Amino acid sequence: MRSAPRDFVRPNRFIAMAVAIVLVFTGLTVRLWDLQVVGGAHYRDLAEQNRVLRLPVEAERGVIVDRNGKVLARNLPGFAVTVIPFDLPRAQQADLALRLAPLVARDPKDVSSAIDVQRGRNPYEPVKISLRPVAREIALLLSERGEMFPGVRVEAESIRSYADAVLYSPLLGYVGPVTEDEFATLREKGYLQQDLIGRTGLESQYENYLRGGYGWREIERDAAQREIKQLAYSAPTTGNSVVLTIDDRLQKLIESELKKGVDEDKFTQAVGIAMNPQNGEILAMVSIPGYDNNWFIDGITPQQMAQLNGDDRHPLVNKAIGDRYPPGSTFKLVTGLSALSEGIANRNTIVNVTSNVLTVDGYRFYDWRAHGTLDFVNGFAHSSDIYFYTLGGGNPNTGRAGAGPEAIYKYGSDLGFGSKTGIDLPGEDAGIMPSPEWKLQVFDEPWTIGNTYHESIGQGFVAVTPLQLLNAYSIVANGGTFYRPHLLKQVVGPQGNVVFTQQPNVLRKVGITQENLTLLREAARRVVTIGHAYMPNAKLPIAGKTGTAEFGSSAGKDSAGRNKLGFHNWFVSFLPKADNTEPTADIAMVIFTFDSSRSLCENCFNPAVGMTQRILEAYKLGKP
Amino acid sequence: MSVKALEMRRSASPLHDRPHTRRLDQVDPYLLIATLLLIGYGLVMTYAVTVESRTLTGDPMQFVIRGAIWAVIGIAVMVTVAMFDYAWLGTLAPLVYLFMLGLLGVVLAIGTSSLGAQRSVNFGGLSFQFSEVAKVLMIVVLAKFFGDRTDKMGSPLTILGGLVFLGPAVYLVYRQPDLGTSLVFVAIFFGMAFMAGARLWQLVGLVALAGAALPAIWNVLKPYQQARLTAFIDPYADPQGAGWNIIQSLIAVGSGGPTGKGLTAGTQSPLGYLPIAESDFVFAGLAEDLGFVGAVILFALYVVLLMAALRVAFRARDPFGMLLGAGVAAMLVFQILVNVGMAISLMPVTGIPLPFISHGGSSLVSICFALGVLQSVAMRRPGPEIS
Repeated sequence: MRSAPRDFVRPNRFIAMAVAIVLVFTGLTVRLWDLQVVGGAHYRDLAEQNRVLRLPVEAERGVIVDRNGKVLARNLPGFAVTVIPFDLPRAQQADLALRLAPLVARDPKDVSSAIDVQRGRNPYEPVKISLRPVAREIALLLSERGEMFPGVRVEAESIRSYADAVLYSPLLGYVGPVTEDEFATLREKGYLQQDLIGRTGLESQYENYLRGGYGWREIERDAAQREIKQLAYSAPTTGNSVVLTIDDRLQKLIESELKKGVDEDKFTQAVGIAMNPQNGEILAMVSIPGYDNNWFIDGITPQQMAQLNGDDRHPLVNKAIGDRYPPGSTFKLVTGLSALSEGIANRNTIVNVTSNVLTVDGYRFYDWRAHGTLDFVNGFAHSSDIYFYTLGGGNPNTGRAGAGPEAIYKYGSDLGFGSKTGIDLPGEDAGIMPSPEWKLQVFDEPWTIGNTYHESIGQGFVAVTPLQLLNAYSIVANGGTFYRPHLLKQVVGPQGNVVFTQQPNVLRKVGITQENLTLLREAARRVVTIGHAYMPNAKLPIAGKTGTAEFGSSAGKDSAGRNKLGFHNWFVSFLPKADNTEPTADIAMVIFTFDSSRSLCENCFNPAVGMTQRILEAYKLGKP
Repeated sequence: MSVKALEMRRSASPLHDRPHTRRLDQVDPYLLIATLLLIGYGLVMTYAVTVESRTLTGDPMQFVIRGAIWAVIGIAVMVTVAMFDYAWLGTLAPLVYLFMLGLLGVVLAIGTSSLGAQRSVNFGGLSFQFSEVAKVLMIVVLAKFFGDRTDKMGSPLTILGGLVFLGPAVYLVYRQPDLGTSLVFVAIFFGMAFMAGARLWQLVGLVALAGAALPAIWNVLKPYQQARLTAFIDPYADPQGAGWNIIQSLIAVGSGGPTGKGLTAGTQSPLGYLPIAESDFVFAGLAEDLGFVGAVILFALYVVLLMAALRVAFRARDPFGMLLGAGVAAMLVFQILVNVGMAISLMPVTGIPLPFISHGGSSLVSICFALGVLQSVAMRRPGPEIS
C-alpha cells in the first residue's frame, strides 16, 4: 500500500484539528489558572466555610432563688430540633416540612415558612423548629435517620422549670421565644432567632443578669451534614443567679391562708404582700389566682391560652401591682395625716358623731354607726367615717374647715399614691390620686365636697395598688422614709461570686413631722387593741388599719364558679419590735381580699385581720 | 508468483497479514505510554476520591480494586485488538452497526435506572454502560462509510448518508436519557466528516440548522436538563438546587490552588460535597487534591495522546484507518472539553465521563478498545520496506 495514492489525507485539516485541540487545552488551562492560582485563596475560604460549621452552644440561664437559696426557677435538660437552611435543598423543603411537622407538633406550612425566613436572613445559621422540647425518642429518630431529614439537627437545650409555678408566676413571669420584630433589635445584643427571652415578671426584668452568653463549637461535617468531628470549642457563659428578697416560708404562709379563704368562699381573689419597711425589701408577694407558667415553657396550647384569657379573674395580672382598687378606710391614713400636717387637727381634735349620717347640701353621707365623741386615735381605731369626712372636708353646716382635696392630694402623692413605686417588676399600675384639677381634666367637672368626703374614706375616685398602700404604711412605720420597694437582693455569678448587691434605695423623706407619724402609729396600734381589727389572744404588737370598699354588683359568679360578693377587704399592718410607737417595724404586710361578702364586714369580721394575725404569728413565732 | 506479488496480494487482503514481529516496531510509543500513564493516573484518582469518602458505603478499597481489574481487562482488550488487522472492522461494519443499535435497544428495554436515567445494563453482577461501547462502534461505522467515499465527500448525499447512520444511535441514547453522550455522537460525526474532507459550508450549514432548531430542541428537553442549562448560565440563581453542583465544583477546583491540598487531603470531594465525585465530577476532586500542577500534567498527557492519535491517523495506510484515528481523537477531545469544562463552569452539567480518570469499566474498556484499534492502524501503516 506504500505506493497507494494518499490524497485522502488532508494536511490542512489535520493542522486545523491539532490547532483546535491545542486551543481547547489552552482555554481550559487559562480558566484553571484563573480559578486556582488567581482565585485559590477565595475558594479555599469557601471550602472551609462549607466544611466547617460554627454552631452556637446554648448558655444555661441563671437560676432564681429566694433569700435563703430555695430555687424558684431552674433548668432541666431537653432536646430542640433546628434546621440549617443551607443544608436543605429547596426542592426537598416541602417534603421535609411534611415529615418534620408532626414530630414537632406544628403545621407543615409554619415549619416551611420558618425555614424560608431563616434562609433569607442567614442560611448558615440554625433556626429552631420545635416550639417545645421534643421527646428523647424523637430526638434519637431525627439524629439516626439523618438522610430522611436533610438540614435537621438535634441540639441539647435547657428547659426552664418553675417550682411552685402558680404561686410564683405573678412574680417570676416566664420565658418565651423572641418575636420577629424584637429580633431586629435583639440580634445586635447577641440573641439568636431561636432564642428565649424573659417575657414578663422578673424573668423579663432581670433578663440581662439571667441570660448567659453563647459559646460556640466548630464542627467538620460532610455534605450530608453528618458531624465528622469537633474542631474547636468555646464554652458558653452561664447566666447569673438572681437572689430575691422573697422569703419562701412567708410566701407559703400567706398563700395557704389566702387559698383557704378562697376555698371557704370568703372571697374570690386575694393579694398578700409583705415588705421590710426599713429597706424596701419585698419579703412576700402573692396574687391569687396565679397561673402555671410552665405552660408557656412547654409551649402553651390554644386551649390553655383561651382559658387564661377568658378567665374574668385575670390570672395573668399580678394584682399586687398591676391593678388598682378603692382603698376604703385604709386611706384614712392619708386623710388623717393631711389634716394633722395642715394644722387642721391634732390628737385631741374631737368630732361628735351623734348620728350615723351627715347631711350636707341635701346629700347624705353615712357612717357605719353613731360613735359618739371621738378624738383622733379613737376616730382612727373605730374607723369612723364621719370623723374623717370632717377632717378631710370640714363641715359646712358648722363652718368647720377640713384639710381639703389639695392637701389630701399633696400628702397622698408624697406617700406614693398616684404614681408607680418603681418596684423592679414590669406591669406596675400607677393608681389614681385625684385632685380638683385632675377631675376637671378627666371629667370636665368641678370638684365637690362630696368628692372630698368620699376620698377621705378611700372611696370615689381614689384607686390604689396593694403595693402602694403597703408602701404608704411602711413609710409611717419606719418614720417617714420612702424606700423604693424591690425584689432583687443580690446577683451571683456562675462561680458564686457576688456580681451586684441591691442597696436600700431611698426615694425621699416624706414631708410629715415625726410627731404626726408617731400619732399615726399609735392610732394604728389602737385599731388592733381597742378597735376595728381586734385580735383575740394576740401574741405580737401588730398595728394596722382595716378597709372595706364597695365596688360593684354583688351578683353572679366568676369564672371559677364563686359568688361575686361585691366588697373588697383590706388589712394593712406593720409590726414594731416592741409594743410602743417607735418606728422599728421590720415587717409590714397588706392583705387584700377581692369580692368579699359584705356581711363579713358588718359583723366587723374582716377576714384579712385574722389572716394577718395568723400569718405574722406563724412567721415570727413559728419555727423557720 | 513472486514474493513481492505474494506480499502485495496478502497485504491487500485483511486475512493475510504481515508477520507480527515486524509490526511490533510500528507500535506508536507515544500513544502507548500516554495510555498507560493515563490509566495509572485514573487509578490514583479513583483511590484518592473514594478511599476517604464518607458518603460511599462499604469497603473503601472496592473502587480501587474494581478499577484495577478494569484496567487489566482494558489493557488486555487493547493488546488483543491491536493484534488483529483493523480492516476486519471495516469488513464487519454492517454487522457492527446492527450490533451497536442492538446494544442501545437493550439498554432501553432492560436497562436499570440510576439517578433517573436508564443507562446501564446489569449482567453477572456487573453493570455495563453500552453507550460507551456504542460511541466507539459508531466511529467504526462512520469511518467505513466516509472512508469508502473520500472521493465523494463533496456531495451532500454523503453527509446525509452519514446522518442516516448517526440518527438512530443519537435518538436511542437521547431516549435513555443521556443528552451528554448523544452530543458525543454528534461531535464524533462532525470531527470525522471534517477530517474526511466534507465541504465546510455543508458542516457550517448543519450547525446553523441545529442552531435554528434550538428553540424546538429546548422544548423537547426534560425540565432537569433545562434547569442544568439555566444553572450553567447563572449557578447562583438556585445555589441549593440546580446550581449546587456547579458551585461546589468551582469551590473544589478553586480551593485546590496552584499545587493542591495533597492527594486525599481534599475536603470537598471526600466530604461528599461533590456529587458523583468518582465519575462525573472527578476532575474537580483531582484539581482540589493536586491543584493546577496536577491538572496541567493531566492535560499534557491528553495532548500527547491526542497528537499521537492524529499522527497515527495521518500515517494510516487507508482512509478507513485515518478516519478511525480522527474519530477517536474527536471523541476524546470532546469528552475532555465537556467534562473538564463542566467542572470549571465553562460547560453545562452533563454526565460525560472524563477519559481514563472517571471511574467506570465500560468507559475505560471502550477507550482501550478504540486505542487498540489505533495501535492496529499504527502497526499496519506503510512503513519502510523490509528487505
